[in-house]
Amino acid sequence: MSVGTPYEVDLVEELARHDVIVCCGAGGVGKTTVSAALGMAIAAARPSRVLVLTIDPARRLATALGLKTIGTQPVVIAPEQLRLTGLEPRGEMAAAMLDMKSEWDRLIDRYAPNSQIRNRILASPFYKGISEAFIGSHEYMALEALYRFHSSGEYDCIVVDTPPSRGALDFLEAPTRITDFVGVRLLAWLAGPARVGWRALNFTAAPFLRLADRLLGGDVLQELGAFVRDIETLYGGVQQRAEAVSRLLRSRNTAFAVVTTLEAAPFAESVFFCTKLREYSMPLRAVVVNRVLPDVLRDRGAVRAATTLIEDPGIASWMEDELGQPVDAETPHRLGEAFLALNEVAEANSAQMTRLARFGRIPIARLPLADRDVSDLEALGHLARWLQGRPG
Amino acid sequence: MSVVDMAARGVLDRLLSRRIIFVTGKGGTGKSTIAAALALLASQSGKRVLGIDVDAKGDLSRLLGAEPAGFKPRLVQPNVSALAMRPEESLQEYLAVYFKVPRFTRLTPLARVFDFVATGVPGTKEMLIIAKIAYEERRSESGRSAWDIIIVDAAASGHVLPQLRAARSMMELTRGGIIRSQAEWVDRTLSDPRRTLLVICALPEEMPVVEAIELHDRANQEAHIGLGACFLNCIFPVAVTAHQSSLLENLVERHEQAAQARLGGPVQPLLDGVRLARRLHEESDRHARTLRRRLSVPVVEIPRQVAATPGLAMTRAVANALARAAS
Repeated sequence: MSVGTPYEVDLVEELARHDVIVCCGAGGVGKTTVSAALGMAIAAARPSRVLVLTIDPARRLATALGLKTIGTQPVVIAPEQLRLTGLEPRGEMAAAMLDMKSEWDRLIDRYAPNSQIRNRILASPFYKGISEAFIGSHEYMALEALYRFHSSGEYDCIVVDTPPSRGALDFLEAPTRITDFVGVRLLAWLAGPARVGWRALNFTAAPFLRLADRLLGGDVLQELGAFVRDIETLYGGVQQRAEAVSRLLRSRNTAFAVVTTLEAAPFAESVFFCTKLREYSMPLRAVVVNRVLPDVLRDRGAVRAATTLIEDPGIASWMEDELGQPVDAETPHRLGEAFLALNEVAEANSAQMTRLARFGRIPIARLPLADRDVSDLEALGHLARWLQGRPG
Repeated sequence: MSVVDMAARGVLDRLLSRRIIFVTGKGGTGKSTIAAALALLASQSGKRVLGIDVDAKGDLSRLLGAEPAGFKPRLVQPNVSALAMRPEESLQEYLAVYFKVPRFTRLTPLARVFDFVATGVPGTKEMLIIAKIAYEERRSESGRSAWDIIIVDAAASGHVLPQLRAARSMMELTRGGIIRSQAEWVDRTLSDPRRTLLVICALPEEMPVVEAIELHDRANQEAHIGLGACFLNCIFPVAVTAHQSSLLENLVERHEQAAQARLGGPVQPLLDGVRLARRLHEESDRHARTLRRRLSVPVVEIPRQVAATPGLAMTRAVANALARAAS
């Protein structure tokens, strides 16, 4: 599709200098697709080893990337495959899909002081609930995997596709939260066998625990206490690691790219996300606006023409004369309506762009609305060329 | 302008005659907007409505033109109140109501403990959320039900089923006593399709449609909840036939100058726009057909609304569109 807007920058040049590129944004904006295209574009532009770390790709996109099964082992995408998409790869690209459960297991394995505690934690009925339900756990595990691949030194550049967060905060606060989470000393102490501490906290704790006993049954509470004591042994290791992860996110070699569309709800969330990144001193380096409608939809002359089609009662018979075939009255009306409906959306979308100005001089790339769902390497390659500012 | 789907007729009345409506869908499908629109429509028929924001992001209140609500219901529109779910406060309220425990004024150190317990013991948070909803359904004020209908802006599709299943899970864990009987009561409320229905939101795109179908199938198998409808949001509303489009093509190819003079503007952009419109409408249509084939409930198509920011104006527009499609 021809999109008449000049692209603002070669986003790839901007971003490729970084070791880590975190793609974030609201759900449904095409984050995974953009991450994959960005990885391809970097592998094409530089002699780098690029890893795209994705969370939950659409099935056809996963297939396109060669990710047939869930697993954390990176899969290399062959250079000849990249070449088929019209790119001239100078580097190498791999993709990996994150598996939350194995990331958690790995974390327990790494920080449990001995195998006894490790096995107890892994076998605990509470472990499953915690690894699945703890808010921020998906976000933190994505960061864990990022850190692991980053420290391995096997990649020059890692593009991370973040989980569909419930809000910016879940992601940015993930390191703090995990540290808090494994550091619930209070409960270990309360539920512990040495009940001396109880008296000191009598005012609030005693009724709470009596109630907990009544509600959950004493056994549950004791088992949970034991589990907490085991989890607590991870504290030192996890705390150190979380700090290192936090440092990596704030590092000069890390770039955040916010991916958005110009639809009202995801756009509002993206603007909020940009604000939060600033607040948390995370380096916002680029905004990728996905699914941009072509500029011809905002052509004023075309709007006039469409309006004539709708309003001029003589148009249908004029069309008949010109074309020499019957044209019913409904046709010009419908054609005009179709154009104006898209024009209205394009105008509203374009007005959104101005709201990005407040974040200063951040490189913005606009990707055109694709002709179909982006679900094969060729379509990804097309987007990659757009990111490079060399569409077509 | 889109073809009126007879199966969607009466969906709105059917939904609004229930006591609790759960609205779910993949992130980005507009479930909060649709929940807010349903709340407005219910209030317009004279009902006293409670909107519950389960994710507590404050979206529901904002979409009803108010500041984010707290745990205590607050009037946000005539006849519409809103509350944001907080499991900790739900626990406190529960303890206060059933065990006469004074509300902890400062739960701060224990809040973290609670957080851990609630996360570690499967189903605790879900149960507190669902119990609060059931509690509001049963609560009366001056001798009658506090609310005629409760619209729940529920968790996104991945998380809603554990919530809806929470009461069942609790019943499996407990053999007797107060919790058991309460879980049974909550389960009776949720599993009675004359009282409670779940609606699923989707967009005319691959992933949201796939997720809607998966959720529909799993809800039928696992959740003991009646399904009310699927709202296919943001469809492209103008249908141009292949013939109509080819007439314009001929005009542009063979009579471009004349057409430009007659219409008062360039016609090539017009043709580009019409082609895109046709594609978008076809995609909407294809996804709607897939959903109709795979789902056991009516599919209500809601045209895309043009708005700069999500807010009351957008909610009103969606409410109107919804009323047109499903009355």
